[in-house]
Amino acid sequence: MNEILLIKLQRGIEAKIISISGGRFASKRLADLGLTPGTKIKVLRRAPFFGPVEIEVRGSKLVLGRGLSAKILVKINEN
Amino acid sequence: MKTKKQLYFALAGQANVGKSVIFNYLTSLHQHIGNWPGKTVEKAEGKLYYKGYTINILDLPGIYSLSTYSIEELVAREYIAVKKPDLVVNVVDITNLERNLIFSLQLLELERPIIIVFNMIDLAKKKGIEIDFKKLEQILSVPSMPTVASHGIGLSEVLDGAIELLQKRVLPQPLKFGEEVEKQIKELITVLNDVDLPYPKRWLSIKLLEKDKEVKKLIKDKKPAILKRVKELSLNLEKIHGHDSSVVIADERCHLVSRIIKKVVKITKPKKISFEEKLHIITTHRILGYFLMTAILGLMFLTIFTFGNWLSFLLEKVFSDWQIWWKDVFGNSILATLSWSAVESTLALIQIALPYILPFYLFLYLLEDLGYLARVSFLMDSFMHKIGVHGKACIPLLLGLGCNVPACLSCRIMETERERFITGFLTTFVPCSAVTVIIMGLVGKFVGISFAFGLYIFALLIIFILGRLALKFLPGETTELIMAMPDYKVPNIKTIILQTFFRLKEFIYIAAPLVIISGVIIKAIELAGWLNPIARLLSPITVNWLGLPVITGILLIFGLLRKEMILVMLAALLGTTDFAQVLTPPQMITLAIVAMFYIPCVATISALWKQFGWKKTVAVTLFKTVFAIGLGGIVFRLLTVFW
Repeated sequence: MNEILLIKLQRGIEAKIISISGGRFASKRLADLGLTPGTKIKVLRRAPFFGPVEIEVRGSKLVLGRGLSAKILVKINEN
Repeated sequence: MKTKKQLYFALAGQANVGKSVIFNYLTSLHQHIGNWPGKTVEKAEGKLYYKGYTINILDLPGIYSLSTYSIEELVAREYIAVKKPDLVVNVVDITNLERNLIFSLQLLELERPIIIVFNMIDLAKKKGIEIDFKKLEQILSVPSMPTVASHGIGLSEVLDGAIELLQKRVLPQPLKFGEEVEKQIKELITVLNDVDLPYPKRWLSIKLLEKDKEVKKLIKDKKPAILKRVKELSLNLEKIHGHDSSVVIADERCHLVSRIIKKVVKITKPKKISFEEKLHIITTHRILGYFLMTAILGLMFLTIFTFGNWLSFLLEKVFSDWQIWWKDVFGNSILATLSWSAVESTLALIQIALPYILPFYLFLYLLEDLGYLARVSFLMDSFMHKIGVHGKACIPLLLGLGCNVPACLSCRIMETERERFITGFLTTFVPCSAVTVIIMGLVGKFVGISFAFGLYIFALLIIFILGRLALKFLPGETTELIMAMPDYKVPNIKTIILQTFFRLKEFIYIAAPLVIISGVIIKAIELAGWLNPIARLLSPITVNWLGLPVITGILLIFGLLRKEMILVMLAALLGTTDFAQVLTPPQMITLAIVAMFYIPCVATISALWKQFGWKKTVAVTLFKTVFAIGLGGIVFRLLTVFW
């Protein structure tokens, strides 16, 4: 319940990373940037034409390609 | 302390932290930019004389971790761990402290003397970020210096602190991870005890648990039995934490950092949305963003080409005066003519460098320093994906419109060798300023401006198709865009000017040898009277297949030097600039297309060579030649049907 892919997460809603699929390469790369399971994450904006997403994580803004953001499962924080 | 006058410092940090600002501030004109031996990674070195020391500073590439995702990351950690500089200066952007500190912890693990420079405290204040540096220094047990590098504030303190640290000869203490992880690390350290490698044992252990490919390879060569133990220990961790052990380690670092952040950072978010934030919202807007991008880039090109054409014309006049003077002094002997062609080739390079490449770099670095290029990458990512590369690739492609040489060199910003090559290959198809001269001077003037623009769209289409094909033929997955979105900030003029200067120098250094040599060779061929025979030899291609006059053979030879020579020579050989008298519209369009796509000019060949080695350069050159001729013939036939 309330678990969706980051790509589907609405703008401005705070969520927590549950897991990152798509192999160790992707998950390690993101973990090195501070995107580890349990980390709070927020979508700031999406580029049109199925472009990348801009997220806020650990006080920084990051841009992730769309394919990558489809590999991140998040859980929306209650309240 | 031993009196050691030569010191070696390495600047390390993530992208956009002000590392190059610090580097430029400290070393100014005492810089050397080259490549790492055998790699397409840029190496920037500089010198600084300070209080009796000669400090050699190496600006490591801006990276986000010390794993092995990109060649840059590998190069950086090899340098620190194996070459062992006296000191690592870790530059941290405190407006993105948490992410930056995760990287700092990785640097600490390499166990070299280190100081951390906390840059951009002015911007942090504006964002309501307050940091207790004393406490931070205590926790990290590493000298921590606040700076505003763009104003040079705090940099002499950094140098004093560095020298003081080196006199004390203290090494940093890596921060301890959680108990379970430490247990596995400790065990690995004992296992690694008799393995002779130039890296710290603790670092090797951590990297093994992170399943680092390069380290695993090293161990496999030395003592493969260890890898089995590593597997067991990793499994232990995975059982406890439920994640891959590589993620567990990264997670441990994140935990350490967020605990530090809690202790030292206080944020009072400003209520008003800042001007920078508003600018960010507008420039990334789904409609307005594209409008602004088109306007900004369009204006940039318009300015550059207007300025470029003016200056180029001016230089042309000056240089032709020089030629007359040269003839007066040295006469008309073969030697004098050949040596003039060497001088002329050099002047020709300057005639591209000053009017076009200089303003191009100035604008580009301005936009980069401002933070705008990251927005362009954000907006263009989905389009770039269609040709198999991510959003950052639009920067080399944009540069290509000015000159293919810097475009080729800037492919270094892509992460993998595969993407570098695809991007580099595609940039050679972008119509550069010289090709623009042909398109506008031939097709735009005599066929119609709409046809000229049509050719640009045609080029775009070709790039798109070739990108799709390259995607098919070069195995591998397209790397997804991962990019930090920097805040907008006031550009640092000194950095922009210095970077432009060094880029121009690089351009001349790379291009000059081949350009001068081929200039002289072509002149010699001309003097020997071989131009016409060669043109006739080429006539099955030029006349029969492309439907162009015999002299086209000569044009294409000269076009090798600089593509706009095609137009210059056409006028010279025909004795008229009214090309409509001698060429039909389909012929003009065909000539323009061949000029656009055939062999890259020698300067671009030099750049390709430097970047991708001779094999790929030869392959690209041959492909382009065959492709352009094939395409030209087809287009010519189609056009003559309809015309």
